Amino acid sequence: MAEIDFDTRINLSKASVLLVDGSSHSIDVIAQVLKGFGVPTIHRFSNLKDANKFLAQRTADLLIIDPTIENGAGYACVSELRHSGRQNATMPVILVSGHVRKANVALARDSGANFVVTKPLAPVVLLQRLLWVARDTRPFVDCGSYVGPDRRFKFEGPPAGSEGRRAEDLKSPLGDANEPNLSQDEVNAMLKPQRVII
Amino acid sequence: MTRVRFFYPDVRLKRLMREPGGIRVADALERADVAIDSIRDDCLFAIDAKIAAIAAFKPAGSDVDSRYVLANEIFAEAGVLGLAELSDVAHNLCELLSLEGHAAVSEQAVGVHVDAMRALRSPAVSASSKLRRVVLLELHRLAAHLAGNHSR
Repeated sequence: MAEIDFDTRINLSKASVLLVDGSSHSIDVIAQVLKGFGVPTIHRFSNLKDANKFLAQRTADLLIIDPTIENGAGYACVSELRHSGRQNATMPVILVSGHVRKANVALARDSGANFVVTKPLAPVVLLQRLLWVARDTRPFVDCGSYVGPDRRFKFEGPPAGSEGRRAEDLKSPLGDANEPNLSQDEVNAMLKPQRVII
Repeated sequence: MTRVRFFYPDVRLKRLMREPGGIRVADALERADVAIDSIRDDCLFAIDAKIAAIAAFKPAGSDVDSRYVLANEIFAEAGVLGLAELSDVAHNLCELLSLEGHAAVSEQAVGVHVDAMRALRSPAVSASSKLRRVVLLELHRLAAHLAGNHSR
């Protein structure tokens, strides 16, 4: 991912953010950062009961949640949101977590969040992740057990020697080519920039 | 064989962020820093209260998680306020309290971390980067010594 460009413009003047964290001071700090970014509407919750009630009835443009809230119930909250089938099931989610127990790393990966950010949450890091969300081109994946953004940032096919686990994975060997190979001239023509007059 | 569905949901935030107007990233970051500064004193007060709460716990198995949560909050909040050494000590305490088998947590080691955090919050130490480094070095020395004793 590219470095942050300080001259880029961002417009969050119509955005709403749902902020869920067990620590009221953490909520205050993140809310202040978001206010600085120009976010006008911030819904704050320090318990999951109220946050889930909100998510069942309303939506926001972004969910920022500390998954360690209530002994790690935040991971399940994100997973349930993704599996809910509701309109807000695909909303961008950023997990913000301080010290993470080793046992919870897989939970974070499998929750369906777009990005994981570690605290202390510097404003520049949060803003960079917001820009990542805006530029994210990954598709959403629904494979039953996991719903969320594709966890692969690049896809190089199934591991060597395996047939893959997905019905869509191509079987190897692929078989013979059914067209002649491209000539070098044809390859060059594809790579060479062309001036187009529209 | 797992059936996988790929799709591209409409993400409103993406559209909003690209709308004309808005502010420069540099200005957004500057405003965020000013906004954090406006609640700095409240946060420092809360951090001191959390250090006191960790210190006040009586050693008991069920207390470990409460202290872990408090140390984790100090780690995050001190870090965002620029108190790097205090954040480091709190992180070390989290590591200590999240070790497998809570019964093995050394109360002496917890006490050393609490003392280090208190020292780092004292006006004299917090104002001097040299003293802050000394506190960190001393903490690491003591923690290593206690870990050595504990494993014997």
